[in-house]
Amino acid sequence: MSKKKIIISPVTRLSGLLSMELIVEDKQVIEANASCTMFRGFEYIMRDRHVTDAVYMTQRVCGICSTVHGAAASYLLDKLYDNDISENAQYIRNVMLAADFLQNHIRHFYFFGLPDFVIMPNQPPFINQNCYDCRLNDSDNHRVASHYFDAVAVSEKCHQILALFGGKAPHQHSFVHGGVSVAPTADKINKALSLIRDIRTFIEGCLMPDTELIAHCYNDYYDIGITPGRFLSFGLFRFGNKNHELLWRGGVKAGSQFRNEANLDYIKEDITKAWYYRPKWSNEDTPAPYKPGAYTWNKAVLYDGLHYEGGPIVRMIINGFYSGGTSTMDRIVARSIETKLIAELIEKWLKIIKIGDAPIARKKDLAASEGISITDAMRGPLLHAVKLNGEQVDKFDIITPTSWNFSPKDEKENRGPAEEALVGTLIPHPDLKYVIPGRIIRSFDPCISCATH
Amino acid sequence: MNKSDFESICLEHRLCNDHTLSSKIIPEACDFIVSNKKNKLPVIWLETSDSGDNNIAFMNTTYPYLHQVFTDMIDLLYSNTFMAAQGGDALEILFNSIKLHHGKFTLVVEGAIPTKDDGLYNVIAQTKSHRITALEAVKLLGAAAEYVVAIGTCASFGGISSAAPNTTGSVGVSKVLDRDVINVSGCPVNPDWFVGTLAHLLMYGKPELDDLGRPKMFYEYTVHQHCQRRSYFDKKEFAEHLGDIECMFSLGCAGPRTSADCPYRQWINHVSWPVKVNTPCIGCTNQDFPDGSTPFFSPLPEKTLNKQKQSLTQPTAEKGEAYEQEKDNN
Repeated sequence: MSKKKIIISPVTRLSGLLSMELIVEDKQVIEANASCTMFRGFEYIMRDRHVTDAVYMTQRVCGICSTVHGAAASYLLDKLYDNDISENAQYIRNVMLAADFLQNHIRHFYFFGLPDFVIMPNQPPFINQNCYDCRLNDSDNHRVASHYFDAVAVSEKCHQILALFGGKAPHQHSFVHGGVSVAPTADKINKALSLIRDIRTFIEGCLMPDTELIAHCYNDYYDIGITPGRFLSFGLFRFGNKNHELLWRGGVKAGSQFRNEANLDYIKEDITKAWYYRPKWSNEDTPAPYKPGAYTWNKAVLYDGLHYEGGPIVRMIINGFYSGGTSTMDRIVARSIETKLIAELIEKWLKIIKIGDAPIARKKDLAASEGISITDAMRGPLLHAVKLNGEQVDKFDIITPTSWNFSPKDEKENRGPAEEALVGTLIPHPDLKYVIPGRIIRSFDPCISCATH
Repeated sequence: MNKSDFESICLEHRLCNDHTLSSKIIPEACDFIVSNKKNKLPVIWLETSDSGDNNIAFMNTTYPYLHQVFTDMIDLLYSNTFMAAQGGDALEILFNSIKLHHGKFTLVVEGAIPTKDDGLYNVIAQTKSHRITALEAVKLLGAAAEYVVAIGTCASFGGISSAAPNTTGSVGVSKVLDRDVINVSGCPVNPDWFVGTLAHLLMYGKPELDDLGRPKMFYEYTVHQHCQRRSYFDKKEFAEHLGDIECMFSLGCAGPRTSADCPYRQWINHVSWPVKVNTPCIGCTNQDFPDGSTPFFSPLPEKTLNKQKQSLTQPTAEKGEAYEQEKDNN
């Protein structure tokens, strides 16, 4: 049987521009190349700017997960200025961050994921939907498809919570270094409580049962798109006056081996298959769009020389909220479980916030000239690092979750997690050549604007 | 025809077996359909170099909500974010739509257009033999569209994707097209500005634009002119820290040189805006955003001290009033 090439381009229903090239032999995927086809150059853009610009600038790396970039940059600045974060600020910050997680997860499930499994109305933007393998019965299909439209208002409500405290969304304004600039008042807290109760009703009444139904009807996807299961998380929801406590712990898990905290010195970026050039005398990468043999703007990221996966599935397994495998359906189910847990947390935190003045206190002078901050983002581990020259940025590094998940091959030709998940997949019918890989790819919730920044 | 007339016709002719009922009703139904026919804008949406924040902002539209926009206002034929089709099936829809709606569709571009190195910094899709760059796609589609709408500051003016040192040579859409482009700037766009522009196109044609190609109905006045904290500015009472209630000109507010209706309109179902949460406007709708706005927390006259600004020609002023003056003179 001869080898055949399938190019899925564009992989729609995700953030940013992704193409996936598959080599298929005897109906089985034997190679996958994840090609992220956009580059903006944020690390250069950050250079020479005042370090306190980092929160608003880096949020613009991403549209669907902007708040977490602002959070990572705020933690970084808190460290550089040695700020003390008040308890009230910690709760408001986490409410805002968590609301953006809900927005992301609900939009991912309904707007991006649902048309993979459910027949949508035959009108734009759903025309020419491939329904070769849509398995829900008519009444289930009708009900679940209608939840797409219910999710419109609910996901907007998640951003309303964020905007109540953050001024706008995406790219909120008040979660900055030193705390939050907004004054928590009874009306804001009460509005947010009312909104989160609506959102929880939807999550418990639609998202959870819809996830269960899809998991049931497509249970073969518990055996499709399996990754090697090397897990990395930086933990989520930072508390403590120095942002030093994590509500959900992070860790590095490879098989039965578990390490509580990632050793950041072990993280390396590999540009073998990425469109960059790294001169021998420096570690400074420059774009090289004509580089032969390269196929993506995303650099491979390695921990201790190996590819690692991040995301809700990793957080849920490491924290004991989910015990399952590392398949396509496990990733989808874990994300929904996380959505439900986060919504409960928001309601709990809102009730703890005390009314009063804006809980923000900034120190004036820098206490350090370089630093690294880490947190988990919606899709996995996020790292911001900076070296300063006075108060100006000398070098800024951002490593995002999709860089890990959609890593290209490294110098040893090892595949990244998404590529690995695709290899071995059977494509039993030509009409499924986009459908099956599309489901596997989207279960990682890729964000290419983040990955390549 | 009202409901009772309709019912009486039905009653009168219900027992006829010679299609009299149909012949009475069908012309009426046809009239109804024609007179109430909703024209929808055929839209092709290209995502190029931005963060995707503008499609998220679009999802946040209220009254009409997103699904109402899809049902009542636009036929979103091609959109990387929303379309059910993928891969070659999606590209086929794109090419068919260009043919089918030639000269009639609205092209929405979200993101800046990289021009350096053959535009390879943004490839919207690839086939076995060809990489379709954003540059190529926008030129092709821009020539065939009835309207071109640039959504967000990257698409309008280059925005953060073209910020110094602009490694990718990114520019706004109007720089690569030899035609009118409607710029709906903002980082991200306020969904009202975008959906409102679509509504204008749909119901009244092209809206009146300002010097920068933006619909005047949203961008005619500065943030400063309508700011709730204007009285503090006039009394020269300035905030010392984020969280204070006074005017934040002292903390870097770009409101005096930023055209947008945020103070009135506000964001996300109109619940808040940056000044309401005690932070300055950072001028995200401006032609020179972000380079003309950083350092974000330095007062306007000091912003040009940044090393990045050397290439910028924006005038600086001694005081905030000078910006008002400038605005009045224009």
